[in-house]
Amino acid sequence: MAQDRHVWRDCCRLSALLMAAALVLGVVHAGENTADDTPRLRVLSWGGAYEAAQTQALFEPFTEATGIPVSVDAYAGGLQALREATHGDGPPWDVIDMTMSDARAACAQGLLQSLDAQLLDPAPDGTAPRQDFFEGAFTECAIAHTVFATVVAYDRTAFPGNRPTSIKHLFDIEGFPGPRALQRTPAANLEWALLSYNVPLEELYGLLSTERGLSLALRRLDSLGEAIHWWEGAEEPVQLLADGEVVMASGFNGRFFDAIVNQGAPIDILWDGQIQEFETWVIPNGADNPHLAREFIRFATRTDRLVEFARHLPYGPVRRSAAEQVTTHKPTGIDMRLHVPTHPLNAHRAVRKDETWYAQVHARINERFRDWLEGRGETNDGG
Amino acid sequence: MRHRDHQQSRHAPSGVLDVLLLALLGTVLGGAASLCALGFVAIVEWLNDVLLISPRSRMLFPDPTWLVVATITVPAAGGLAVGLMHRLIPEGRPHSPADVIAAVQTRRGRLPARAGLLSACSGLVSLGCGASVGQYGPLVHMGGTLGSLSARLLHAGRTDDNIAIAAGVSAVIATAFNAPLAGIVFAHEVVLRHYALRAFAPVAAASIVGYVLAEVVFERGALFSVAETGVPQAWEFGAFLVIGALGALVAGAYVHAILGVGRMAARMPLPPAVRPAIAGAALGLTALWVPDILGMGQETLRLATIDGAFGGAELALVLVLKLLATAVCIGMGFGGGVFSPALVVGTLFGALCGSLVGLVVGDQGASLAVYAVCGMVAVTAPVIGAPLTSLLIVFELTGNYVLTTAALASIALANPLGAQLFGRSLFDIQLRQRGLDLAAGRGRAMLEALHITPLVSRDCVELRPDTTVAEAVAIVSHAGHGEAYVVARNGRYRGTVTLACLEAVREDGGGARPVAALTDTDRPVLPEGASVWTAMAELQTFAGEAIAVVDDLESRAFRGVIYEAALTRAYLKQTEELRREEHGSG
Repeated sequence: MAQDRHVWRDCCRLSALLMAAALVLGVVHAGENTADDTPRLRVLSWGGAYEAAQTQALFEPFTEATGIPVSVDAYAGGLQALREATHGDGPPWDVIDMTMSDARAACAQGLLQSLDAQLLDPAPDGTAPRQDFFEGAFTECAIAHTVFATVVAYDRTAFPGNRPTSIKHLFDIEGFPGPRALQRTPAANLEWALLSYNVPLEELYGLLSTERGLSLALRRLDSLGEAIHWWEGAEEPVQLLADGEVVMASGFNGRFFDAIVNQGAPIDILWDGQIQEFETWVIPNGADNPHLAREFIRFATRTDRLVEFARHLPYGPVRRSAAEQVTTHKPTGIDMRLHVPTHPLNAHRAVRKDETWYAQVHARINERFRDWLEGRGETNDGG
Repeated sequence: MRHRDHQQSRHAPSGVLDVLLLALLGTVLGGAASLCALGFVAIVEWLNDVLLISPRSRMLFPDPTWLVVATITVPAAGGLAVGLMHRLIPEGRPHSPADVIAAVQTRRGRLPARAGLLSACSGLVSLGCGASVGQYGPLVHMGGTLGSLSARLLHAGRTDDNIAIAAGVSAVIATAFNAPLAGIVFAHEVVLRHYALRAFAPVAAASIVGYVLAEVVFERGALFSVAETGVPQAWEFGAFLVIGALGALVAGAYVHAILGVGRMAARMPLPPAVRPAIAGAALGLTALWVPDILGMGQETLRLATIDGAFGGAELALVLVLKLLATAVCIGMGFGGGVFSPALVVGTLFGALCGSLVGLVVGDQGASLAVYAVCGMVAVTAPVIGAPLTSLLIVFELTGNYVLTTAALASIALANPLGAQLFGRSLFDIQLRQRGLDLAAGRGRAMLEALHITPLVSRDCVELRPDTTVAEAVAIVSHAGHGEAYVVARNGRYRGTVTLACLEAVREDGGGARPVAALTDTDRPVLPEGASVWTAMAELQTFAGEAIAVVDDLESRAFRGVIYEAALTRAYLKQTEELRREEHGSG
């Protein structure tokens, strides 16, 4: 036994030495590689306001701390660009901001390097990352950093003296009359429909896997009858709600936040039943500076960075230590705790979207949904 | 009295320590049993996912053809594995809560480790492969076996062995249901069947540890939850009572179906190891049509509480199929419990009643879920013979008083009716069939379980049939006995002669006659394996010194005699032990 431990310790030492050597060589190599250039971290992210917030909360502080400049490309999600680059000259990025479902698919296709949660910093109070990050934040190739949510928002002025407090009210056409804008996809709608029957969160996908549960959910959606106004582009529900064309709408929490803060729209978010998805950091296979990328991921997922990012955009920190510290919106000073999906005030009845489930049943469930739409006499123009 | 005083003074100083040690035993044992239970449940869930039993895994599996193949072969293969496993158990069947009850009630204690382990494995495989059986039976037996093992390790007496078994059982129930009170009450209501202060501390400690591990450390979700009950109208409590009465009938049908299939299976010209495999294949085939009957039925349990998930006819169909599936699985020899399927059957039954009441009367105040829960307790409580436990499970899982009172109305009639119609519980019926009748009380059960062998005495006079009367008188009177037993040279018992009879014949001048002619052959004899209870029953109509004991009633080889005094001593000793266990306070 004791001998085993010695051998084990020796192995550890040896591998630590090797790793240190590799790190030195890697840095030297990276230095040489860019001798004519400055070493640079190249990031692929979502552009727009999202990139601006990342620049202020992550990229600039990273450059300040390490002296390494960051250059950013923008994309609109999906794996097409990465796949092409990998098969060509290798990806021109060191680190990519991806949704968890894209990251899973990319990982399965061998486009990403594996990532270990051990590279992360502990919380300020010393809590280990495994305890501090939300469950499911680590997968083989991706480390989640923030959470965005699909939520139902409502027109504050539509129900005088009353306001929806439960996801059940989405289907309560008598108590909360008026048209509802819902995305023309099974995702989110099925979950909410089942939740309205008081199904516990943890049984949701098990029940949606039964024919009985699925038809129960579709029947609930049916009960809305003509009140459904389908949307497809992410901007539509915000517009419909702001224009007063619908009284409730599903959509991404960030979009609603923007309408509330920047347009002053009379919209409130119903957090009950919010469906959370992870945004992750991944490192593509063939990246030039994988060590730098890991260094950056460690930096960008630190508690203080996540808190800082949540001062710009309502993306929920994926660490408990950060979610609890969310403060105010930097430009306007409004209380961001009301807008961040993972803050304990809002996360009480949050559904974690079952990515594996959707990845596997995608085609079948979409077909079922299309059939149902046709059964309602609606043509499926959106595909 | 002196004896008693002496005992008290001896026990008092060490009494506190004794109680504390028992509580400590309960705590440690509770932790171990609870961890085993959590592991068991986790493995079953994992197996259900891997073996395409859980709806989620079935949905995720992309190939419909292989899914069909798996649905039939997995339960069949599981059945074969279970059947082979049971060959390693001496009784050829998995042990169940009935064995735990028997061990405690007869104070035989000592649940065997090997059979316990094999039964747990049999339960794991059966549940993992989707058999329509429950998980709580194997868990209860596992908890009890762990308790018995730990008592044996500590060289504890029989009373403490019983307490340890009860503590193990209460820990697994508290863990499996997240319900500590239900754990404590179950241990008392079903296993111990009496309330002794001495047992309370360890049982409660085990239960609390089980609850803390399940709820706080591992954060397991509740078995069922009912968010909205509505407010039942006054007349609806009448409906709940009727559901209770009808539920007892459903419970009776369920129990008799299980026993009936068991009897039929025993007559089948098939090796016992193959029977569960056939049951598994039949189950899989039916599940292709009605998948709700597969496995423990967690999803079905949930859906049954939702208004509109099933049509009325569907409710009845799934109810009947689930009942039959369970009867076939358990009757044909799968390992596993009867509680979880009874939960499903009961919930479907309650939902069916609720829908019917809605159709006939309308204007219900209570939601369908309330009716479903009433049906659930009305069927499960009589099956396992535990009205208070069932009620407490509802109360602890929902924390809802409306629901608990509704369930109480159903239980009020379900259990007494069930007891009148078929017996206190399935376990009691099974034990009665194995020759242990608990209905007449624990005292009788213990006497029935107690063999006369250790009480048999060789201190008696044996005579050969050809011994003359004169010789016999001399032998018997010198030995100081009033009776002698005539035994042939081949050892066969022929009968008894009394000294009075011998004397009378000698007086009449028959001193040279052989004793064989005078032998009273009508005297009762007892076979060696007879119980003390049988012996005492013989004594009631018997006038004489002692009853002869033979090896069996066919060959009648003489083994000795049993004196009335020995039986009385055994009876008094047993009564005293029971009194101490059931009324002792520490």
